[in-house]
Amino acid sequence: MAATNFQASSAVLQAGGLSKQFGGLKAVELVDFTITRYGVTSIIGPNGAGKSTFFNLVNGALLPDSGNVFLEGEDITRLSPSKRLAKGMARSFQITNLFSDLTVLDNLRLACQFLESKASLLRPLKKSKIADARCEELLDEFTLAAYASVLAGALSHGHQRRLEIAMAMATRPSLLLLDEPTQGMSHADTHETAQLIAVLGEHTTILLIEHDVDLVMTLSKKIMVMSQGEKLAEGSPDEIKGNPAVQAAYFGEAV
Amino acid sequence: MGGSRMDNAARRAIRITETTLLLSALVLFIVGTTSGDTFYLRLATEALILGGLALSVDLLLGIVGLLSLGQALYFGFGAYLSAVVLKEVYPSLALSLLVVALASAAVGYLASFIALRSKGVYFALITFGLAQIMAKVIYNTRELGASDGLIGVPVLQVWTPFGVLDTANPGVLFAITLGIIGVLYAVLRYLLTTPMGQIWRGVQSNEHRLEFIGVDPRGPKRFAFVIAAIVAAVSGALYPVLRGFVSPELLYFAVSGNAVITVILGGVGTLIGPIMGAVLLTLFKSVVGTFTAHHHIIVGIIFVIVVINAPKGLVGFLAGRLTRRSEGAPHGRD
Repeated sequence: MAATNFQASSAVLQAGGLSKQFGGLKAVELVDFTITRYGVTSIIGPNGAGKSTFFNLVNGALLPDSGNVFLEGEDITRLSPSKRLAKGMARSFQITNLFSDLTVLDNLRLACQFLESKASLLRPLKKSKIADARCEELLDEFTLAAYASVLAGALSHGHQRRLEIAMAMATRPSLLLLDEPTQGMSHADTHETAQLIAVLGEHTTILLIEHDVDLVMTLSKKIMVMSQGEKLAEGSPDEIKGNPAVQAAYFGEAV
Repeated sequence: MGGSRMDNAARRAIRITETTLLLSALVLFIVGTTSGDTFYLRLATEALILGGLALSVDLLLGIVGLLSLGQALYFGFGAYLSAVVLKEVYPSLALSLLVVALASAAVGYLASFIALRSKGVYFALITFGLAQIMAKVIYNTRELGASDGLIGVPVLQVWTPFGVLDTANPGVLFAITLGIIGVLYAVLRYLLTTPMGQIWRGVQSNEHRLEFIGVDPRGPKRFAFVIAAIVAAVSGALYPVLRGFVSPELLYFAVSGNAVITVILGGVGTLIGPIMGAVLLTLFKSVVGTFTAHHHIIVGIIFVIVVINAPKGLVGFLAGRLTRRSEGAPHGRD
């Protein structure tokens, strides 16, 4: 009993029996998955394995045909993305999705508006002390201070991804969802982003969807492998590497 | 940093345009009242009223990113309601402005539920359609003078530091109009310094993204729509005071369309640009109109030339020049 309680309290996200069909295609089929507090949990799988669909069922972009999603023990299956944010779930985007004709500071400022009361909406920006302070922290933490007054659209790709993650972290979420954060990055940028994610993981719970298997193996404490919409395996990086079914379905092709 | 230098230039261009307008107004007021001029003071009053309408179009188009082709609805509504209040209820400008502000907020709020269901071209078409409906309703309402409009709006008495003056005095009416349009402008400028203003720009930049940072854009969009309705209607409320009559043409597409052209010529999203645009266009039409009845052709040609060569309008063009100058300065040029 005590063990169950402990498990319940350390589970940040629980997905139970999640299924989603598109026409006749079973994109996600009865997937159970638990994410425990802190560190990086990852989902990998070949193209078309159902990673993105699963990710979208978790973040609320899609509604499941059946099954439930619990965040900190609360059923959020049918909540909109903005309500999920209020419950502590934030996400970044696979395709860079910023306010490209606003400055870096304005992008962060918008992301921090959530921390302020509704009453602050019609007061001068300078009076929003909480959001201001959080913006300063984020500029420092993500080393974006030098670019504060640059338009987001004019940043390098690597910096745009960093801003993207900084915006997702604005509300200090209990669960951060990262959708292929290193996609299209140079080797150096990928390395830098990996370090950033590792540091974030020390005090944040992160769910990572990523194509770069090496990156996933170094960063993750736990990995779920998906194939054809189903959960093929889950475990620590070493367990996944040694799993014959995974090697056949996934690494088999690559090696 | 390219971005911030451009921003500074834009801010300076806005400051310069504001100063130019204010100084011109001051000179016109002093010269006009001492020389007993009527024509230019009344022309400038009309320009400011049209500037208020353009201001409301720019709030929606330049800040929130919504192209309204029907702002004449609120402009005409304000003009008619003001005329009715002044004629039938009590001849007080303050009363008519208050009634118009409240009533247009209600009308704008109701219309927003229809117009804000859509975006882009569809939003433009719906706002256009709503204005056409309102124009036809007024055109066919005998109590509002139908196609003839309402005439005989009384001259008003206004308390000023120089004693009680009446609005038949062109200097008095010009000063009042300048004050009211100035207040509308200042309110919008202030809103742009608040989180609300930032969300508006966020809607224009990437509306879908707002939801994922916990901001529901619907409320801020509705608020902008209502504020734009009030700005257009309060500007319209001054029209019968200047002209002494109102007519259904005030709600026609020509009025809405002209306001959009004014905004584009002046500089989309700059707020002061549209007012400058209204002043220049009104003056231009009047001057050219004395030589030829075909001034619309010339305005059309100017519009095409400006859109091709200075797509960011007058204020944008000025900002571009300021940027180039500050970039050229270290090389000892200029």
